[in-house]
Amino acid sequence: MKIITTCGMGFGTSLMLLMELQSIGAKHGITIDGEALDISSVHGQNCDAIFGSSEIVKSLEGIAVPVVGIKNILDKAEIEAKLLELVKSTEPGKE
Amino acid sequence: MLEFITSFLSTPAFIIGLIALVGLLALRKSASAVVKGTLKTILGFMILQAGAGIIVQSLLTFSTMFQDAFGLHGVVAEDNAIAAAVQTVLGFETSLILVFGFLINVLLARVTPLKYIFLTGHMMFSMAATIAITLDQMGVSGWLAIGIGSVIQGLASVVFPALAQPFVRKVTGNDNVALGFYGSSLIWLSGWIGGKLGNLPGGRTRVQRPLKTTEDIQISEKWDFLKEMSVLMSMVMVIVFAVTAAFTSPDVLTEVSGGKPVAIMVLTQALTFVVGILILLQGVRMFLGELVPAFKGFSEKIVPGAKPALDIPVFYSFAPNATTIGFLMALIGGTLATVVSGFLSVVVLPSVIGLFFMGAAAGVFGNAYGGRRGAIIAGFLLGFLFQFIVALAYPLIGLGDYGIVGLWFASPDAILVVALMRAVGLLFGV
Repeated sequence: MKIITTCGMGFGTSLMLLMELQSIGAKHGITIDGEALDISSVHGQNCDAIFGSSEIVKSLEGIAVPVVGIKNILDKAEIEAKLLELVKSTEPGKE
Repeated sequence: MLEFITSFLSTPAFIIGLIALVGLLALRKSASAVVKGTLKTILGFMILQAGAGIIVQSLLTFSTMFQDAFGLHGVVAEDNAIAAAVQTVLGFETSLILVFGFLINVLLARVTPLKYIFLTGHMMFSMAATIAITLDQMGVSGWLAIGIGSVIQGLASVVFPALAQPFVRKVTGNDNVALGFYGSSLIWLSGWIGGKLGNLPGGRTRVQRPLKTTEDIQISEKWDFLKEMSVLMSMVMVIVFAVTAAFTSPDVLTEVSGGKPVAIMVLTQALTFVVGILILLQGVRMFLGELVPAFKGFSEKIVPGAKPALDIPVFYSFAPNATTIGFLMALIGGTLATVVSGFLSVVVLPSVIGLFFMGAAAGVFGNAYGGRRGAIIAGFLLGFLFQFIVALAYPLIGLGDYGIVGLWFASPDAILVVALMRAVGLLFGV
């Protein structure tokens, strides 16, 4: 699946979050393709979901794909739980 | 052939591309990943330089106006723009200091108790450039500069996170991650002082009451738009350009506007600066998106269990309200520093990126040590000191030698490194 991660600049926190998602994904056999972007650039991007800190994604409106806010970006368990929940809800019956 | 090689190696985008290529091959990536990664790194680097060109051009106009209006130099503190703008001269040194500095970082993390791996790519890049510039001004260049520079870069990568770690533990409540951000010393210092002052017994009672945290405050969501850098920076730059234009003589205004209405010139020039920053950041995004994961993968193999030193916003989630308060107070402090610096050698203009990211962090650290009042004082202190330090340190490096006007270094840790290098240089008479 394709995931866009976002933060204020688009190369610090969001890149870390993307790498985290990819390594969690690899653990569960989910291939995550993605890109880290700044918050101003996420509109109109073609992807399956957008991840970012709860603070930053709450300013996003009118996004067609699921937007997932992470409360504590350092908490791997939270990221893992939210990723798996997303996978379950978006791909029923697959895998 | 030799001419081709020399020419190739003096094109910084190709050096950095070559580094990515070697890294990707060493990590045994697929052919498509190697091609994609190498090309994206080169393109990202070229975009970065294009952005820097636009910024430098816009600031040339601004500096002409500012000097005419106030008879002083005015600078914006922004590291990445400087780093990108010097690449045509110091690209070779910068790229190799970046890579060898990282390898020394990994080595230090492996053999010393300072188990930190610095992974904030844009800071590694700007620090490498800052060190290369400082050495160049001290008359050191080429491989000697790369050798000395890489050692300094490697040391900075573990020493600054180590200094910040006690404060990071206080904020996060654990010891798993570190702060990899070259504004760290000013952030924890402001946070700590803000906390001390915020805790002072106010009024009659000396009884220690529980701290009022920033996180109990309701902050209206209408302020959320300020969290978008481009919006905020546009507003600040338009104000800065407009105020300067108001004091500029009509002759100079006619000259720089080329006959267009002044208001239009102010708007386009101010926004062109912002556009330059946005392009620059797009370039940073593109080349770091390839380099950082490679660095991370490599370091995890060599030093398992090391603490990753990460960019500052990962700490914002510990007190989101404090980030807003800290940033707004930093903006006030920074504006005051702009006024005060007028009495020194250079006027340091409100530098939004630094105020935004470091101010927010000072709010978080201040809140951890001294609640609401801690956050308020810490944010203000950070904003004021950040720009005031730039004004004080300005004579240390003359960027005019590289055709850069209107910009100076921002990161407090990097400025500290520059000052130390200059001091050591004095001992050796350079």
